[in-house]
Amino acid sequence: MTRVSQLELDLKPAEAPRRSKRTSAFWLAVPIAVVAVAVFVLPLTGLLPAAGQDLNATRQPPGFLSGGSWSHPLGTDKLGQDLLTQFIEAGRLTIMIGLVGAVVAIGPGTLLGLLAGYFRGWVDRVISVLIDAQLALPFILVALAIIANRGSSLPVLFLVLALTGWAVCARVTRSATLAIRERQFVLGLRAAGASELRIVFRHILPNLGGTIVALGTLQVGTAILIESALSFLGLGVVPPMNSWGSLLAAGQDELSTAWWIAFFPGFAVTVLVLLVNLLGDAMLTHYDPRKRRR
Amino acid sequence: MTSLLHVSGLSISARLADGHLRLLDGVDLDVGRGQIVGVVGESGSGKTTLARSVVGLLERNVTVEAGTVELAGDVVVAPGVDRTDRIRGTAVGMVFQDASRSLNPLMKVRTHLGEVLRRHVHGIGKADVERRSVEVLEQMRISDPARVLDSYPHQLSGGLRQRVAIGLAVVTRPALVIADECTTALDVTTQTKVVALFRTLVDELGIGLLFVTHDLMLASDLCDRIAVMSRGQVVEQGGVEDVLDRPRQDYTRRLLAAIPSWT
Repeated sequence: MTRVSQLELDLKPAEAPRRSKRTSAFWLAVPIAVVAVAVFVLPLTGLLPAAGQDLNATRQPPGFLSGGSWSHPLGTDKLGQDLLTQFIEAGRLTIMIGLVGAVVAIGPGTLLGLLAGYFRGWVDRVISVLIDAQLALPFILVALAIIANRGSSLPVLFLVLALTGWAVCARVTRSATLAIRERQFVLGLRAAGASELRIVFRHILPNLGGTIVALGTLQVGTAILIESALSFLGLGVVPPMNSWGSLLAAGQDELSTAWWIAFFPGFAVTVLVLLVNLLGDAMLTHYDPRKRRR
Repeated sequence: MTSLLHVSGLSISARLADGHLRLLDGVDLDVGRGQIVGVVGESGSGKTTLARSVVGLLERNVTVEAGTVELAGDVVVAPGVDRTDRIRGTAVGMVFQDASRSLNPLMKVRTHLGEVLRRHVHGIGKADVERRSVEVLEQMRISDPARVLDSYPHQLSGGLRQRVAIGLAVVTRPALVIADECTTALDVTTQTKVVALFRTLVDELGIGLLFVTHDLMLASDLCDRIAVMSRGQVVEQGGVEDVLDRPRQDYTRRLLAAIPSWT
């Protein structure tokens, strides 16, 4: 019987990994950063038109249309208030609501989904019942109940966003975790003596990165749209605060006479949600070493 | 030869919705230091269950009904007893079927090795982790350890990946290594190299190797002893020549007859 121990063991070196160039995530982050800087820094510079009413200049069109003036670049509303100033102020709140709204939904949702999917058993049963119960309740009913009880304010809005968003995140994370925990490397980690918590948070959670980024970008959009819907019903952001959603709601009565009041906030919401979704896509590619451009 | 792994009368069954299923039925097996014991048999014969029961990686609905698993004289598995958490990753290392799936795709080889070392070697410093990582990759006959350490699993070839997986199993200098179908996913040339590597490691380090495979030819090349499994029982075991040249059991003869031949 022959032994194979004398066979050669040398290896051909495979080609070395090359460094990735700037990814599309970088180029998508640029417009988002520009918007953020504009919205957060511009109000501090004092360059914006004054915020007061001017009843002699109501419903003025934007500066680039005939009849408009560049002293109000985006025009004015029915009280003669400058729309650019409102737009920037509202953008600040909208971006904040989108980001915080996503975090408050994804944080608890991901954690619960992860625990349910990894530990299964009674942990999974309890969390799954909670998810089902939450998903059975219509979002608007939850929102109405909370806002009727607690009044309309930013913390209440975030509570509503968390309550209406966590269940979907938990369910998606749970099923993704169920799939990952069956992968061989998890068995390998257990065979190598890694602790359960380390496996969950150091190994499974990073492998959920793609799912979480996708959920996150969706949730930013959803939070902005929910806030817009609530503001439209008078349950979201209340004056003197404005969000793009509440500006859109305010302008919708005058679409036929002064379309620009609703157009710019609506357009901005659309572009922002689109950009955030594209950024999520690009981050996903950047995040996963297997998908990186090499 | 001193017995490193001693399995005696091990019976294991799974609780199913419609009763119990016997997975292992009175299995006896010994692996000595510096010895390679092959476990062969067809799919579903209980090879993997045997391998996993040694390190306590069984499903939740599976229980040990009788028998013991002893490692270096200490009982680690018995009915109602599971002390495998003390030996996982330290006294016993494990290599799985497909290294492309048994490594975390998001972590570099360096992180994989570092994590195991830091978990099991208390107070190990950064420099020592690096030194030991390079050392173990060199032991795996990897010619370019620095590059491999900086690679993600998907950037390595299948054979290289399996070497890394073996390195990961032996980096803490375990006494016993369990290889569960670890050559199945490799092409024949790479298989031969991995098998050769195992022989060298066993000779150099004096570890015991439990080599689970369905490939009789591979087992006959590599192993000192062979245990043939069927329906959860070891139907025949002994030296390679005894089992393969003079099989006493019908089942072994049928397995041998099933090997394709080119003559």
